[in-house]
Amino acid sequence: MLMVLALIAGIVLGVVLEPTVPLALQPYLPIAVVAALDAVFGGIRARLDGIFDDKQFVISFISNVLVAAMIVYLGDKLGVGGQLSTGVVVVLGVRIFGNVAAIRRHLFRA
Amino acid sequence: MSNPTAERFNPDFLTELFRDPLDAAYAAAAKRRAKRGPEPAWSRLSGRAAGLLSVVAVGFLFAVAYRHVVAAEPEITRTRAGLVSEVHAKQAETDDLQRRAEELRAAVDRERAEALAGGEAAQLRNLAAAAGLGRVSGDGLVIEVRDAPADTDPLTGKPRSDNPGRVRDRDLQGLVNGLWDAGAEAIAINGQRLSTTSTIRAAGAAILVDFKPVASPYAVSAIGPGDLDRRFERSRDGQLFRALARRYNMGVVVREQRDLTLPAATDPQLRYAHPLGRTPPEGGPSTGPSTVPSASGGR
Repeated sequence: MLMVLALIAGIVLGVVLEPTVPLALQPYLPIAVVAALDAVFGGIRARLDGIFDDKQFVISFISNVLVAAMIVYLGDKLGVGGQLSTGVVVVLGVRIFGNVAAIRRHLFRA
Repeated sequence: MSNPTAERFNPDFLTELFRDPLDAAYAAAAKRRAKRGPEPAWSRLSGRAAGLLSVVAVGFLFAVAYRHVVAAEPEITRTRAGLVSEVHAKQAETDDLQRRAEELRAAVDRERAEALAGGEAAQLRNLAAAAGLGRVSGDGLVIEVRDAPADTDPLTGKPRSDNPGRVRDRDLQGLVNGLWDAGAEAIAINGQRLSTTSTIRAAGAAILVDFKPVASPYAVSAIGPGDLDRRFERSRDGQLFRALARRYNMGVVVREQRDLTLPAATDPQLRYAHPLGRTPPEGGPSTGPSTVPSASGGR
């Protein structure tokens, strides 16, 4: 419950503060969002499995975002460009799907 | 995070990923907790706070990303819409000016007809019609030419740019010349009348008739003798167009039309004529579009 409130608080903060994304950070934004989504769904699933752990969640969120950003940065520097980000999106997307499937099993027993 | 007994490098990483997407870290942490018993209260509390903080960060990130996307979208469409409306405004402006020029020309014609004797006025009118400087109406035919439907690129699903059945400026030139040859007296492309000095040119993918872009389908209207269509069909250019339509799937429709009205062509620049009794402008005949006012007064 507290987590949901915190999420809403974050969204409200983002809406109210109206931050502008610096140009240098703009390419990382979509990948960071996907990484954050992965961390969130992983956390929800762990909570339903009864093994949620705050520290693990923090670490998975930060490391997800950092690794994703690093891959985008590397891709940019090595001239691989968007292809590496595609890899990130595919892997994280698969994880999100798997986690959502597990969540669904928990919630609907199906 | 590391648990040497539980974690090994699985060679079949993707299969593993699909089968069990959960971070092994959660399970490892749970196992650790079970072994060592509950953590001290301060550790739990700080972990809780950090977790909440990162959830706030996640929400913040979502909101920022959403705002970013929403803000970027109208930017693009706004720029485009601005350009489009500017183009339309300019086109409307040229159309207005064109209409005004036509009105003025009609007024001049009326004045001249009053000033001149009947025979001369009629002769002048005929000459002007033949030169494309006056509005003409009569029976003729309309040839509608359109680009062949472009193949779609199998990779992107977009139409390919190298469509061999696209109508080119040379096709229109050939068509128009064929019509002149078949005895047409006045020709217009998409309502744009051709005079003796009109140009049909390509600029990139667009075709310009007297520097004004025309787009597919091209309607080439021609006024001429009653057997214009037969003569055109028999001519070399007519046959070429039939072949193009067969070979490249280009759309060609020829139909007769009664009571066609073709507008006057845009005013040609007078290059050599100058008003009687005045010296010609300095530097011989003017060549650019920026003619000296006196150079166009002698018509």
